[in-house]
Amino acid sequence: MNLIKLLKIDLIKLSNYRAFWVLNILYGLLIVGIPAGVIEFLKWLDRIGEDFSEFNPMKIPVLHFPDIWQNTTYVYTWLKIFMAIIIVISISNEFSYKTVRQNIIDGFSRLDFLMSKLATIFVMSFASSLLVLITCLLTGLIYTPEFEFGDVFNGVEFVGAYFIDLFGFLVFAFFMTVLMKRSALTVFMLLIYRPVELIFISNLPRQLEFLGDYFPLQAMSNMIEVPFPRYAFQEIQDYVVMPFVGVSLLWIGILIYGIYSKLKSSDL
Amino acid sequence: MESVLTINNLTKKYGRLTAVNNLSLDVKRGDVFGILGPNGSGKTTTLGILLDVIKRTSGDFQWFDKPPTKEMRKRIGAILETPIFYPYLSATKNLEIVAKIKGAPLSNIDPVLKKVELYERKDDKFRTFSLGMKQRLSIASALVCDPEVMILDEPTNGLDPQGIAEIRELIKGIAADGKTIILASHLLDEVQKVCTHFAVLKKGNLLYTGLVDDIDKGIVNVEVASEETTLKEVLESCPFVEKVKEEDGKYVAQLSDDKQAMDINKYLFEHGIGVSHLLTQKKSLEKQFLELLAESETV
Ligand SMILES: Nc1ncnc2c1ncn2[C@@H]1O[C@H](COP(=O)(O)OP(=O)(O)OP(=O)(O)O)[C@@H](O)[C@H]1O
Ligand SMILES: [Mg+2]
Repeated sequence: MNLIKLLKIDLIKLSNYRAFWVLNILYGLLIVGIPAGVIEFLKWLDRIGEDFSEFNPMKIPVLHFPDIWQNTTYVYTWLKIFMAIIIVISISNEFSYKTVRQNIIDGFSRLDFLMSKLATIFVMSFASSLLVLITCLLTGLIYTPEFEFGDVFNGVEFVGAYFIDLFGFLVFAFFMTVLMKRSALTVFMLLIYRPVELIFISNLPRQLEFLGDYFPLQAMSNMIEVPFPRYAFQEIQDYVVMPFVGVSLLWIGILIYGIYSKLKSSDL
Repeated sequence: MESVLTINNLTKKYGRLTAVNNLSLDVKRGDVFGILGPNGSGKTTTLGILLDVIKRTSGDFQWFDKPPTKEMRKRIGAILETPIFYPYLSATKNLEIVAKIKGAPLSNIDPVLKKVELYERKDDKFRTFSLGMKQRLSIASALVCDPEVMILDEPTNGLDPQGIAEIRELIKGIAADGKTIILASHLLDEVQKVCTHFAVLKKGNLLYTGLVDDIDKGIVNVEVASEETTLKEVLESCPFVEKVKEEDGKYVAQLSDDKQAMDINKYLFEHGIGVSHLLTQKKSLEKQFLELLAESETV
């Protein structure tokens, strides 16, 4: 079946699902709200500092081109758990209602089921990246004191990295859901997975230390480096780290294959 | 005749438990095939394998003489065990998903909802339905693709007597259109009324398969009662009576040589006995079923 058809079927399932819309809107508000909040905070700093300092916080270039791209996308990658919860709920529902079973009975192949969910995940990641793009663009245009047109899109590739990071994490959530089946358990595992991964990495024996960067969520987070030390005059990688884009894509492939094998071999 | 379904040596094991054991069956086009068996005999498991939701351990099966694919499932209308739908979606939306998966036109939805008498409730959420309504909706969903084959696993579960009768009529109607139906049920009376063929499973083993019409072939049992005290003697002296049994004040004579109730009546009359009660016992599927199970205990 073609992807558009599979996507449409999955969207009918979600269309009347309240939690889906609530969480999506919440996520959208956070994306728009964070830069707005930061601006308000800087304005407030400006107001209280006015009397005794000639320093103008609005001049800190966190939300100026080109810094804004890396700064915001880095912060946004922390929000992906919200989106993941939507995915976990919508997929674990299919198992608890047994609707995945009925979908297969009705004529889906297991691959169709997988692709219909992936299509939704893709669209959600894409829409969210688009919102990030627009938010950054507007914020940058309004608050950057002076810039040349060429600077505007300098760093826009961070939005691409954000997309891969989000898509990758949602695929990871899909994978965990297919393994665990139950939503509460899966969300819990998603929350503790990252800390566990970090602890594991930091305890790797010396000869294997280099592997640490290649763990799935570590590799994905390596695409966008923490940008803020640059305001403390430290050197950072102010570009998307391409090798880790490759590693992330590879992980996404492996996870999708994992989901497929699990679906293929199990009774539903 | 063309085979719709052929099952060859199908086996499913859950660890040490064998849910389906070396099962072979053949269903032809137009058959209404009843699958009977006590709880846990492997009916749902078998149907689940045929619909690709349960993985078989060994053996194989063909739909329409070809190895199974998802395209074939789109030509089959099936419900397994309980009605399965998205609880927060309306009846119409749920059927829309089914129709889209099956590639059936959305214009089929309203007619099938009318057929199962849910049209007035079509915009209500599935979770607000009563059990019987849920059951009806699943029948509607099995019908939505205008299927060549219907697989029904206890379709009358939870319906009221009127609902059961309606579903029975529905099934008969569908069968009359030349469609093939595979029906797993505990209502033996139902199966006898609608099915042409039946198979009996027990603990995953096939005990028997045959025609429903053959159930009461061969042996004819006639119930006789009379005021005359000599009835039993006369019956026993009759050359074409094999056996006489007493059953609550009446005698049951088992006839041979293709003799019928009319013949025994004539014989008794000639021997001066007027009968007050004469009835050919229909052998019920239920009786046959219980006998088959009892037989399988003794071996
Ligand atoms: N997922 C499973 N894991 C382990 N055993 C199972 C599983 N599903 C079914 N079984 C076992 O397989 C056997 C057959 O079950 P099945 O559901 O096919 O019976 P059935 O004939 O449909 O019974 P019923 O009339 O009660 O619906 C039973 O012994 C059951 O316990
Ligand atoms: Mg069953």
